[in-house]
Amino acid sequence: PGPAQEPRSPCCLVCAQGRNLKAVLCQRCSSRGVMCVLPQLLLPAMRKKAVAAGSGGSGGDVVREHWLVRDMFSFENVGFTRDVGNVKFLVCADCEAGPIGWHCLDDKESFYVALERVAHE
Amino acid sequence: MDEDVLTTLKILIIGESGVGKSSLLLRFTDDTFDPELAATIGVDFKVKTISVDGNKAKLAIWDTAGQERFRTLTPSYYRGAQGVILVYDVTRRDTFVKLDNWLNELETYCTRNDIVKMLVGNKIDKENREVDRNEGLKFARKHSMLFIEASAKTCDGVQCAFEELVEKIIQTPGLWESESQNRGVKLSNKEEGYGGGACGGYCSML
Repeated sequence: PGPAQEPRSPCCLVCAQGRNLKAVLCQRCSSRGVMCVLPQLLLPAMRKKAVAAGSGGSGGDVVREHWLVRDMFSFENVGFTRDVGNVKFLVCADCEAGPIGWHCLDDKESFYVALERVAHE
Repeated sequence: MDEDVLTTLKILIIGESGVGKSSLLLRFTDDTFDPELAATIGVDFKVKTISVDGNKAKLAIWDTAGQERFRTLTPSYYRGAQGVILVYDVTRRDTFVKLDNWLNELETYCTRNDIVKMLVGNKIDKENREVDRNEGLKFARKHSMLFIEASAKTCDGVQCAFEELVEKIIQTPGLWESESQNRGVKLSNKEEGYGGGACGGYCSML
């Protein structure tokens, strides 16, 4: 909703190699390290919709900034929804808040976590 | 992948509808936010990290996502699993009686016979108990299963259940492979046919 957020400067989130400097946590239940997605690369300007397809297709943000995770076992805690078309949405494994990202079944080695849907600590 | 992860294990959670299988994997929060997406679409599986005796293991935990209502989960659901958590509701005897069916199904479809089984009597926070602890324990012993009573609501025993199961798997030679050998958990449900089944996978039946 509303105009797209000003992208936060990636310099506070990524190291020189483009990997995350901070732990990536669930925004809702961050009390324990919910999710730590190492190693990963920042993928800027990725124009994909992480819409809640399950909620009738209404609502949702075009999410441009993602963490790109190459191996699903890099996640410490993440849940995968059942298939929606050729997409699985990612949710927090502990509280199931989401979608925090998505995975396309056509690309087995790419898991996208939306920067604005997670906390960085 | 973290360097210090010992292995990756496939764990199944089975049992009758409504016994709280999915809840075993949930941390309850007291806010009013409803995880609508997960509830609507259903969660296929979760990747969770667990630490047991200083060993880190990654678990791919498969929940039936309501498909137990249609009976007979597809063989690919069972294939390659190293551990299974069999859940009943201590306040509903029928869910305890049905355990035999689940064990039969497990025996039919599991690709290995040394799979580690754990019986979980859930919902011990409720008052109207119909299955007492000893009955559960006896059933578990009879079928060589680990046993624990739990409340997903209060989180009693839940963490314990996963830890014990993983500990037992790690102690079972030949059941697991070190991380370098084992990259085998398939994400896609659309696996090649198994026994010529037309759907062969875990397609939505809803």
